[in-house]
Amino acid sequence: MIPLLIILLPLVVGVLLYLLPREDVAVSKIAGAVVAAATVGLAIGGRTEEWTWHWFAHPFVANFHFGATFLSHWLVVLLTLCTFGAVVSTKVARTRSMIASLLFLEGTMAGLFLTRDLLVFALFWDAMLLPVFFVLLSWGPHPSIAWRYFLYNFAGGLVLLLAVAAFGALVGTTDVIGNPAYHGLTSGWAPWILAGLAFAFLVKTPVWPFHTWMPATYEGTPSPMVAVVSGVQSKAGLYGFIAISLALFPQYFAREAPVFAVLGVVSLLYGAFIALVQSDIKLVVAYSSLSHLGLVLLAIASLNHLAIEGAVVYIVAHGLFSALLFIVLGYVEEREETRSLGKLGGLGWKNPRLTGAFCVAALAALGLPGLAGFAGELVILIGVYESGYVWAAILALVAIVTASAYFLRLLQGATQGPEVADLPVRPDLTWIEGLALAPLLFALFYFGVYPHALLASGWLHP
Amino acid sequence: MPAHLLPMPLANYVSLSAVMFFIGVAGVIVRRNPLIMLMSIELMFNAANLLFVAYARAWLNNAGHIFAFLVITVAAAEAAIALAIVVVAFRSSDRVDVDDVRTLHG
Amino acid sequence: MILVALLLPLAGAALCWAFGPRLRGAAGWLATAAVGLSFIAILVAGSGREALFTWMPGFDFGLSLDRLSLLWSVVITGVGCLIHLYSIGYMHGDRGFARFFAYMNFFIFAMLLLVLSDNWVGLLIGWGLVGLASYFLIGYWFDRPSAVAAARKAFVMNVVGDVGMMFAIFLLVANLHTIRMSDAFASAASLSPALLYAICFGLFVGAAAKSAQVPLHTWLPDAMEGPTPVSALIHAATMVTAGVYLVARCAPLWDQSASAQMLVGTIGALTAISAAILGAAQWDIKRILAYSTMSQIGYMIMGVGVGAYAGGIAHFFTHAFFKAQLFLASGIIIHALGNEQDVRLMGGLRKRMPLAFWGILTGVLAISGIPGFSGFFSKDQIVAGALAHGHPYMYAVGIVTAGITAYYMFRLFFITFLGEYRGNVDPASVGITRETTNAAPHEPGDDAHHAPAWIMGLPVALLIIPTVLAGWLLFGSDASPSPWSRFFAPQFAGPATAAVPIPDWLTTAITFAVVLIGIGVAALRYATSAARADAVARLRSESLNMPKVLTHQYYMDALINFVFVRGARLLGAVFGRIVDPFVIDGAVRESATSAQSLGTAVRALQSGLLRAYAFVIAIGAGCFLVYYLVTGLPHR
Repeated sequence: MIPLLIILLPLVVGVLLYLLPREDVAVSKIAGAVVAAATVGLAIGGRTEEWTWHWFAHPFVANFHFGATFLSHWLVVLLTLCTFGAVVSTKVARTRSMIASLLFLEGTMAGLFLTRDLLVFALFWDAMLLPVFFVLLSWGPHPSIAWRYFLYNFAGGLVLLLAVAAFGALVGTTDVIGNPAYHGLTSGWAPWILAGLAFAFLVKTPVWPFHTWMPATYEGTPSPMVAVVSGVQSKAGLYGFIAISLALFPQYFAREAPVFAVLGVVSLLYGAFIALVQSDIKLVVAYSSLSHLGLVLLAIASLNHLAIEGAVVYIVAHGLFSALLFIVLGYVEEREETRSLGKLGGLGWKNPRLTGAFCVAALAALGLPGLAGFAGELVILIGVYESGYVWAAILALVAIVTASAYFLRLLQGATQGPEVADLPVRPDLTWIEGLALAPLLFALFYFGVYPHALLASGWLHP
Repeated sequence: MPAHLLPMPLANYVSLSAVMFFIGVAGVIVRRNPLIMLMSIELMFNAANLLFVAYARAWLNNAGHIFAFLVITVAAAEAAIALAIVVVAFRSSDRVDVDDVRTLHG
Repeated sequence: MILVALLLPLAGAALCWAFGPRLRGAAGWLATAAVGLSFIAILVAGSGREALFTWMPGFDFGLSLDRLSLLWSVVITGVGCLIHLYSIGYMHGDRGFARFFAYMNFFIFAMLLLVLSDNWVGLLIGWGLVGLASYFLIGYWFDRPSAVAAARKAFVMNVVGDVGMMFAIFLLVANLHTIRMSDAFASAASLSPALLYAICFGLFVGAAAKSAQVPLHTWLPDAMEGPTPVSALIHAATMVTAGVYLVARCAPLWDQSASAQMLVGTIGALTAISAAILGAAQWDIKRILAYSTMSQIGYMIMGVGVGAYAGGIAHFFTHAFFKAQLFLASGIIIHALGNEQDVRLMGGLRKRMPLAFWGILTGVLAISGIPGFSGFFSKDQIVAGALAHGHPYMYAVGIVTAGITAYYMFRLFFITFLGEYRGNVDPASVGITRETTNAAPHEPGDDAHHAPAWIMGLPVALLIIPTVLAGWLLFGSDASPSPWSRFFAPQFAGPATAAVPIPDWLTTAITFAVVLIGIGVAALRYATSAARADAVARLRSESLNMPKVLTHQYYMDALINFVFVRGARLLGAVFGRIVDPFVIDGAVRESATSAQSLGTAVRALQSGLLRAYAFVIAIGAGCFLVYYLVTGLPHR
């Protein structure tokens, strides 16, 4: 029952918020925060619960079967944490609809991660595009960005649906995620199904060369929403690779793995170098995301169990620090009324607490030892090296050096240097703004010092 | 049994139906008056009905009769809607020619 | 107890950070006390090993305190405590006083973590965190753009080193399946020579970046943008010697690979001599000391590289005292002169600042290797060790560098303390062409004199004792080994040394002769009465005639900037402005356009003629009819 609750609670409250007769900031924020906090508790507490409702049996079996597996448990915890931060940090016009969209996004993504059925997975895949699409339409600078986001991802979703339908027709059931009774698919169609799945996952993550929808989307989406999109929605593709492609088609995926490794390495370097020259603070983080998620794809494609453990740690870490970064950048933009690195500067004296949070987020993102990103990075590299992709591991090291350069450029450009006279002076972090960041900061430190917590009870080590 | 009471061979029905059908097709393609075209369509429907009824008799299966009734019903509804469209279309122009009605061209 | 020693500075840092504005001046004392207590805890613990927790499945995290890490910990916390005390005076009245001590305490924590970890991951975490602390402290006055740039440069170059270490560590872990160092050392012999060389190479990239060895050295002179106590603690006494620690710690790996030893020794020797030459061409007192630090670390790296581990770490030990001493004493000068760092505008300070005079004098005597002072013993061990391990070139470089060192250190000493005070002359008349950038708005100025003088004086006075005397620990002979070599004998079981063609006493004599030549040249140029009388004109001509290759640090900075920084930016611009919008989006747009033109082509079929549609339908139906007539109906 708990998994269903995690999905339905935000959806229902989101709809109720839409039905509120008038804009009421306090009520919507409190309701949103309470729901998000409640789902954090449910997600942590209810990891072993399952819930099933049979949907149809012809032409193949499909069930509304929800329940966390090892990886999806952590993704749902990450999702609920990020949603909490996003809801609490929301400070936009039309707060009510923003929070309703955030809750809708949370509910659909919780459904995506918790479902054990491929068909339901494909349905939630498309459903989770809608809140982002509508937010982009109403808050974004130009509708074309929203359409671009939607078309790219919906194209992926359609291919995914086709692949799932083919899978169901061939196997006879789509209730297979984490199902020990499923014994693999041997058919001439399997590579095609795998290709369809991979297309959807690659677009969603995104991975070079399917990434061009991403910078504009991240730039145009208001920061609370983009925190969840970059922090969690981008993990849907990687989750798909691990829980579906790798788990359900092991031998076919292994055959095509070098392709994914190459795409991962290209994204890794490509994103890093572009991030080096961006002048918009949100775009720096957007391209860094391309680079970091390329590393995770490389880890998955290396098929090495150490690298995949590292990938799990890194997925969670990246979710935490990119959500944190985008929320912080939202605060910076709100205070300084610009996102241009050329105009920003000297925030450190004006807003020391905000700068501190910014600093932790940026350092975690550049892989500072002792914070969560580093643990994942190191273990991924050991695993990738062990699996024989020596060249990839060495190229990844280049990207790590580049990451330190562009994140320091971001951090220093915004917070250091002389105070810029024509920027507005605004008060430092309020406690509510701090409350939005606190859980994410805590998790970054905790998983940085003790990454074992993420893997201690995992299915990777039965 | 006298010869004129013997059942007509099935082939006669089928041939008649085919002839009626092709007359209908030709009418739809060749004529430009929508009323005539509608009548041609009715002719095709009735060709089909004839076939349904003939086979129902021949195979002693009542499904054909049921389908014939269904087709008659649908044809009536279709004729009603089509005549309404024709009337509306002719209000805006005084000629009776389907080639003038092409607002749906791509 | 080891854990307590490790966590005390961290707690101090957290307290200073969280309650900084409320603590005010007490933050300094709190931080100093945390380091002092940590020093005591280290001494109480003495040695031991503590297992802590599982970091990742199969990777256990623990601390260990052996003789080598004991040495480092004692210096880190001991010298660190004195420098903290000094900073209370130096940073008095600064806007970010508590923040400064939070960073300093955090540095002590990170450095202790580096030397106390018993595994590669902890080492790497400490390695990264000291880099972070150094970044924070170099960029401490972060409204000064030069400090911000210097901090970033230091951090990025250190990340290059971190990445080298990560490479070595994943080679080690992937091949040996353990992150515990002692396990790796035990099975080092089972690795192939090529792999072992690659591991040592990766580790040494880390060591070279952290210890400012050629060619990863360019960040260290710029790092002098930080406050002087930071330069003393991080960029002289402790952090920059982490590379020496790493090589000494991994001695079992280096002992297996002669070519890796050759690499380390060569780089160390190269750094020692090239930095010493640059040191002779500087005018900024802190930059002179920075280059001398590089050069002295070059010695240490050469020492541990050739296998003279006890000598290399002995030089770390003595250098920590005399270099901290030199920095702190020069900090007194800088502080008193209102942040003037250019030696050309000093002069005649002997009477005005007796403590600084004595501090710098003992430091200069120690670093130059005057017999009896601490540097003499340790440097001698390295030079002799290079020959004993069969590296005559390094031996020669060591001796020549000793002479250059004596020259530039006495040059510093003479220019600063002899002659007339030049602080009130026109800067252009002594050859200062560009305006001094060092007068920082936030450098604690006149109001800093409220702190009692003893706070800055006491650490300098206390450091004079080990600066002079620490070397006697190394005094011994083959018959009765020195206390030092007896203490470290169990730590380094290196290969036996070959018979030496030149006896030790002769080496000492040659070195000392070269040192005397260096001092003599410096005295002739700066200390004679004629030179003192004519100081302004001489300094001017020397400044203007300084070779460009030296003032530009052999153009290393420009080269790195051009190849790597510009190169990476160019690549980013090409990807971001050309590939993304034109190639990838171009392909997407192209497919959209072709869909559109396909639509235009098919549009002609939609004529809107009802009869045309009917005709097409009839044709289609006819085709079906013909098909089934030819093939027959499908059987049910």
